[in-house]
Amino acid sequence: MSKRTACLAGAAALIVTAAACSSSSSSQGPGSASPVAGGTITVLEGQGFSGDWPYGFDPATDVTGAANQDFFDAVYGQLFDLGANGKIEPDLATGYTFSANAETVTITLRQGVTFSDGTPFNAQAVYWNWMRDLGPLAVKAGIESMWDLKRVNPKVPTSAPVAGAIQVTGPYTIVVHQDVPNGAFIDQLFDAIANWIASPTAVQKEGQTKFAQYPVGAGPFTVVSDTYNSQLVVKKNPHYWQAGHPYLNEIIFKSVSGDEAAYESLLANQGQVYEDLSTTQILSQAGHHFTEEDNPGTSPYDLQLNTAVAPFNNVKARQAIYAATNFSPILSKIFGNRYPVTESFTGPGGICYDPNVSGYQGYDQTLAKTLIAESGLSKVTFTLGTINSSPVAIETTEALRTEWEALGMHVKIANYPLAGLISAFEANGGKSWTAMIQTAGAFDPAAGVGVGFRFGSLSPFSGVHDPALDKLLAQATSFTSLSQRCGYYNQAAAYIADHYYGPFYFTFAPANIAVKGVYGPGLTSPLPSVAVVPVIPWQDVYYHPAAS
Amino acid sequence: MAVPVPDATTLTPGPPPLPPLLAGGRRLRAQRAGRWLRLWVPAAVVILVLAICFLLPLVITLPSSTNGNILQAGDPPFSPGHWLGTDAVGVDIFSQLVYGGRVAFEVSLAVTGIGLVAGGLLGVAAGYFGGWADAILSRLLDILIAFPALVLALAIAEGLGPNEFHEILALCVFSIPSFGRLTRGATLVIRDHPYMVAARLSGTRGWRVIARHVLPNIMPGIVTFSLLGVGLLIILDGALDYLGWGIQPPTASWGNMIYNGYQVMTAQPEYVLIPSIVLVIVVVALNLLGDELRVRWGGQQ
Amino acid sequence: MALAQQIQLQGSDAGARERARRIAGSPALIVVGRRLLSAIVVVWGVTFMTFVVLSALPNDTAQVLLGLHATPADVARLNHALGLDEPFPVRYWHWLVSVLHGNLGTDLEGASVNSQLAQHLPVTMELLAYALVGSVVLALIVAVLAARKPGGIADRVSTAISLLGLSAAPYVVALLLIIVASVELNLFPVQSNSLGSGSVLSFVQQGTLPAASLGFPLFAIFTRLLRADLLDQMQREDYIVTAKAKGISPWQVLVRHALRNSLYNLITVIGLNLGQLIGALAIIETIFSVPGIGSELLTALGNKDIPLIEGITLVFAVVTVLGNLLADLMYAVLDPRIRHGRAQS
Repeated sequence: MSKRTACLAGAAALIVTAAACSSSSSSQGPGSASPVAGGTITVLEGQGFSGDWPYGFDPATDVTGAANQDFFDAVYGQLFDLGANGKIEPDLATGYTFSANAETVTITLRQGVTFSDGTPFNAQAVYWNWMRDLGPLAVKAGIESMWDLKRVNPKVPTSAPVAGAIQVTGPYTIVVHQDVPNGAFIDQLFDAIANWIASPTAVQKEGQTKFAQYPVGAGPFTVVSDTYNSQLVVKKNPHYWQAGHPYLNEIIFKSVSGDEAAYESLLANQGQVYEDLSTTQILSQAGHHFTEEDNPGTSPYDLQLNTAVAPFNNVKARQAIYAATNFSPILSKIFGNRYPVTESFTGPGGICYDPNVSGYQGYDQTLAKTLIAESGLSKVTFTLGTINSSPVAIETTEALRTEWEALGMHVKIANYPLAGLISAFEANGGKSWTAMIQTAGAFDPAAGVGVGFRFGSLSPFSGVHDPALDKLLAQATSFTSLSQRCGYYNQAAAYIADHYYGPFYFTFAPANIAVKGVYGPGLTSPLPSVAVVPVIPWQDVYYHPAAS
Repeated sequence: MAVPVPDATTLTPGPPPLPPLLAGGRRLRAQRAGRWLRLWVPAAVVILVLAICFLLPLVITLPSSTNGNILQAGDPPFSPGHWLGTDAVGVDIFSQLVYGGRVAFEVSLAVTGIGLVAGGLLGVAAGYFGGWADAILSRLLDILIAFPALVLALAIAEGLGPNEFHEILALCVFSIPSFGRLTRGATLVIRDHPYMVAARLSGTRGWRVIARHVLPNIMPGIVTFSLLGVGLLIILDGALDYLGWGIQPPTASWGNMIYNGYQVMTAQPEYVLIPSIVLVIVVVALNLLGDELRVRWGGQQ
Repeated sequence: MALAQQIQLQGSDAGARERARRIAGSPALIVVGRRLLSAIVVVWGVTFMTFVVLSALPNDTAQVLLGLHATPADVARLNHALGLDEPFPVRYWHWLVSVLHGNLGTDLEGASVNSQLAQHLPVTMELLAYALVGSVVLALIVAVLAARKPGGIADRVSTAISLLGLSAAPYVVALLLIIVASVELNLFPVQSNSLGSGSVLSFVQQGTLPAASLGFPLFAIFTRLLRADLLDQMQREDYIVTAKAKGISPWQVLVRHALRNSLYNLITVIGLNLGQLIGALAIIETIFSVPGIGSELLTALGNKDIPLIEGITLVFAVVTVLGNLLADLMYAVLDPRIRHGRAQS
């Protein structure tokens, strides 16, 4: 799993920190209108997250991760999809097997598929892509190694993998030999650059810069026009392998400045779909005009505490934060009580869901005051940060600050744009930040913005450096059996609670709103999020304008 | 946001000339009344707003403008304890208006004051003494004024950290040359008036002439320009706060209120309307006052 | 600075008066020349000031480019390669030289600053032009209507609207326009993010609301200016005499002559206001998602993308100076007093 991609994917996903999951689904249910081919829709994307794509769509330079995943999926398709019921579905790959020790994965690819430029899609093309994803271009872009492979220079984790680490064993079979057991390999593919296969011929012919703007893949759509961070137009790929799909002829993706602008545009009939709506006040009204989809969340809202520096290197200070936070009025007033409360990093849409952790420290004002005095927390000023593109995220930091200041703490709020947020984490060797409101967890905690991202000692976006926790998390990926893995994740959640590494609040998933007449997974039927946001499979979306 | 920066006061377009005062009782009284209203209504509004922003908190205890109780979030106007309601995290809206107004006036009055004193002195000196000093000073003022004010304020906020003091600093770079050019132009205009020549010929020293003759004559024009400038600066400060590079939350500011209100404009328009209306009223009053004073004192249109 | 004032500058002794007469009599070229010279000084001063201000920004370009795992030694090496650890005058010199060569560097995302500017600057310029032209045209119409009957209804209405235009912040106007014209009346799109890359019709559709927000205060100033000028001229007797002599209505004479003179004032005012206009641009572009350099600047500031900030600030400063220069030139050279002065001497 590319750590850096995961890092940035997670960081990008943070923006949707308070995306709402509507409690009342006014969806019309799947199949209430049968699919119809044809039509064009305009999809709005919010700036600061999915509405920004400053680097284009070359997988080997993709550092925006989850934010632009549905664009990548539209153009490239995926090897495997995360299906509506949380199952792994074949797409450009038809199957996988793990070796007994879970270190080797064999993937079988679909036969008879061509890229949209006519060149063949096969194991050789996949191999070419994966080597490129591990090569100097990706390293320079800041994407770290995807998998734990044997490297030519073992001391340099970004050096090329040894010959044979990735093997083409047949025209449609490819094998990956990892150094450690990894039962989460397939789950980790869902928002990894390895899931997107570019046409090697096109990359070599067009050159990297042009290719990033006009990518060629084997997905359901091809790019018609692309203005970075502004507008992307795609049209149906007539050679797409899945007969009958995509339904839509054309999709226009437009960047808008935020939830309010998107809502206004939809009201004025200037768009049909808006992804990732988080402003609660708008959500409570949107249901009157549009379809709102209730998607099961996989990423809880979590308050990260930096254990590397004062004040939160003191365990009493951390426990004080647990005890000082009354999240239920925040959940009620800012988020309209839409989400299930949780005490760990799993959500109802993902694997190993466990909302309650034994021994979890809840709200206790008296205890909080004692702990604040004992730890000297009231003598320092610390900073609480979050991403600035979500109004509800900012409101949450304000509400927390007010609660904590009422108990005598001194808090400064810092709201960052995405790039600034990454800098804030990384500045001064990771010793600059003190507290951050972010999301932790993904469909599979081992993937994307998973738990290692927030609680592993090697992640730059983690405030925890605890080898014992690392060991638990590593053990949780060493098995292919789900029950064994979940056992370790439960232990990890208990460990985090015991050491007060960071309170969890609730699981949410963003709401997508659409005008009546648009149907699809994530829009009119629930879809679990890969990492925070559900990724709408545009090939399964259709539009009945008459119904709107 | 574009108020003309005149080179000489003659270049500033003024308010419409009043119809001539007619002889004849009722009409004359009506016109006089009209003129009186035109001066005192906006003056009263400005004084009232200043009083509310600076004096009211000393008399009444207002709820905090930075910390709110989450349990009272989203209260509508006229709720108990919150005259205009509360915002999404429970902070009182009226308090935010009051303290935001304080900041707005602090910034704009400080910048105007500094510009008036520093820029005014520079400009008068340049205009009166002329020669090389004038040439150099004029170029310097041109350079400073050529810089787009907002861009400079953003760069300074980025470099030094956004807060009220740096904001004032940044905006002074814009206001000092503005006043400089204005006073220089005005000084040039009256420099060669006969009584000025007489004063110089009679041996009065330069600074005495300036103090006794130049300043009193250019003052009216400067004062009216200042009032218009205060209005412009309030808008500019609001712009910086809106963009997030001015007064930082949780400190209340009108620009920040407008920005937050915009996020839910369609769903709850009152959050953007309330601070916007207050902003417009204040600036309109300042402009009306400035215009009326110019008509009364200037007489140059 | 008007030529008349320049003359006054020379002092009131006889020798100076002689010099002044000579200046008034010399060809316009010299006046232009002096203007250009001082403008070059100003442009240089502005670029210097830009660099000074931006040098104060904490520059961790090297750190960002190299990423998290860069050792301090790596960062130091890249800093040295980028020339960021050199003393201030050296850095300024390098920067100035590369700027003069037209190379504004590479931004943090790897694109050349020049290409970013080339992509976004035209959009902003088009929007600016739309706002200026629109406000001038409307101001002309309204000013003429108002001046026809001073004190009449058209006059009062135009005065009220002017007052609002001067007092309302562009961001407030923009938000209001969005609610009324976009959401309620559905006349214009809420976001204009493909402004400048489509047909003329799409430009008008997407550009009208942002241009209106920008142009409203301009419209207010221009209306006042033109109206004052018109009324001023109207009181002059020679127009009425000329009109009677020519056998046309005084109104036509007024429009033909007065407006022409007013245009100089108009241009001067535009030039003087360019700085503030550019500031307003940043906000308007953000609200409407216009892909111009105003919103680019704000994004760059948020990302602490120093090279891009430097490039855009430089462009803003130079454009403002050029605008002022143009205004100055027009005012000085085309001032009829100079033209007539030449004829007399």
